[in-house]
Amino acid sequence: MSYLMCVLLLGLVLGLVAVASNPSPYFAAMGLVVVAGVGCGVLVGTGGCFLSLVLFLIYLGGMLVVFAYSAAMAAEPFPEGWGSWPTLRLVGGYLVGVAVARGLLGKNWYEEDWSGFDSILGLTVLRGDVGGVSLMYSSGGWLLMGGGWVLLLTLFVVLELTRGLGRGALRAV
Amino acid sequence: MTPLIYSTLIISLGIGTTLTFASTHWYLAWMGIEINTLAIIPLMTQSHSPRATEATTKYFFAQATASATLLFAATSNAFFTGSWDILQTNNPLTYTLMTLALAMKIGLAPLHSWMPEVMQGLTLLTGLILSTWQKLAPFCLIYQIQPHSPNLFMALGLLSIVAGGWGGFNQVQLRKILAYSSIAHLGWMVLILSFSPPLTLVAFSTYLMMTFSLFYSFMMTKTTHINSLSTSWAKIPTLTALTPLILLSLGGLPPLTGFLPKWMILQELTKQDLALVAVLAALFSLFSLYFYLRLSYTMTLTMPPNNPAGTLPWRLNPSHNTLPP
Repeated sequence: MSYLMCVLLLGLVLGLVAVASNPSPYFAAMGLVVVAGVGCGVLVGTGGCFLSLVLFLIYLGGMLVVFAYSAAMAAEPFPEGWGSWPTLRLVGGYLVGVAVARGLLGKNWYEEDWSGFDSILGLTVLRGDVGGVSLMYSSGGWLLMGGGWVLLLTLFVVLELTRGLGRGALRAV
Repeated sequence: MTPLIYSTLIISLGIGTTLTFASTHWYLAWMGIEINTLAIIPLMTQSHSPRATEATTKYFFAQATASATLLFAATSNAFFTGSWDILQTNNPLTYTLMTLALAMKIGLAPLHSWMPEVMQGLTLLTGLILSTWQKLAPFCLIYQIQPHSPNLFMALGLLSIVAGGWGGFNQVQLRKILAYSSIAHLGWMVLILSFSPPLTLVAFSTYLMMTFSLFYSFMMTKTTHINSLSTSWAKIPTLTALTPLILLSLGGLPPLTGFLPKWMILQELTKQDLALVAVLAALFSLFSLYFYLRLSYTMTLTMPPNNPAGTLPWRLNPSHNTLPP
């Protein structure tokens, strides 16, 4: 099981390198999908099954799908994958950076214990992240409304930014 | 912009700052800062020019980077100390990272490069909101971080005074000058934060009042360049007489109010046996004084050549009231 966690975490770091090395949006979106999927696996491994499910559904299945469609709108005739020289240089640079970071900071990474979601609440029906969700709706009601307001505000902001066709702020859309 | 959207954005600006002020949890403070960033974005693109869009994009990138760093620092703090409380930032890595993130948010050197370009792309009113209101929420958090050593704050402060003074030296665009003046004043505020937080608040409140007045006087004469400033003396004669006082107050000359924070900060620094820092801060503020003096000179102390029709307005009734409408 810890071997699986190591593989998933390696996938996270490699996905980060894949996205940050600036390929075309097609490939960067694929990198994001891989990172999100692997991150969900890490969440499951530490005990947050519900959180992982919600992440898959909403982030991957909602936001990334929309992003992939909008990246498809920005299609280019010669997309740069990870084999093209500029991207490959950046991939190499970031891998070197990862190795340096591992050498400087990552001495005891396999010796620390994993603190999962379940260690706090004890033996109850609602454990870990599911208990957190129920708390969010009960004690954290005001914060939930604040979060909802922020999302609504973001919607208004995006609609206002893209309004106006050729006369608006973003003239290409 | 429709009135409904406009009022939603303005109310969200208010909600964001209030949320950060009222919070003891790092998540809530971060959420307030994010609401502020989001709400001001459409206000910045209101003029629908490529310049404004570019300024908005740069602002968003800088603020998003700083917010992500702030969130990471808050999460690491929770990991190390087990507490999400804003006042419980004990870990050196954590409070250093938080200080740097908040320094990028308010535009302290060496993380200040986005400020002049962003201010240049905005209208004067939006630039005013950016310089004053958007600084309140991150400043509230900077005030509450309690580092163990004053070194980082002093370094940020001194660098900002230098960058703000030296950077504004060669500028002719008034919004860029105001951006550099903001950087320099924030440097003074942060310089004294570890030693005497009330002095930081004195400096901040005087800075708010002075910069609000200066922005507003530029708004009333509708000037954004030293050229148009020089020929604006005839528009509102009372303003022409009063603006040098605002500018010299910003430069920190006695007996104007702007001298008060500088005086007390220098006194506190010498009491803390940091006379060299005090001397450096005072000397580099002379650079800022130079460009404030240049603005007063072009606006009030000279009457540049103008066409005869332009010299007439001061005899007639002014078209603007000098009180805010």
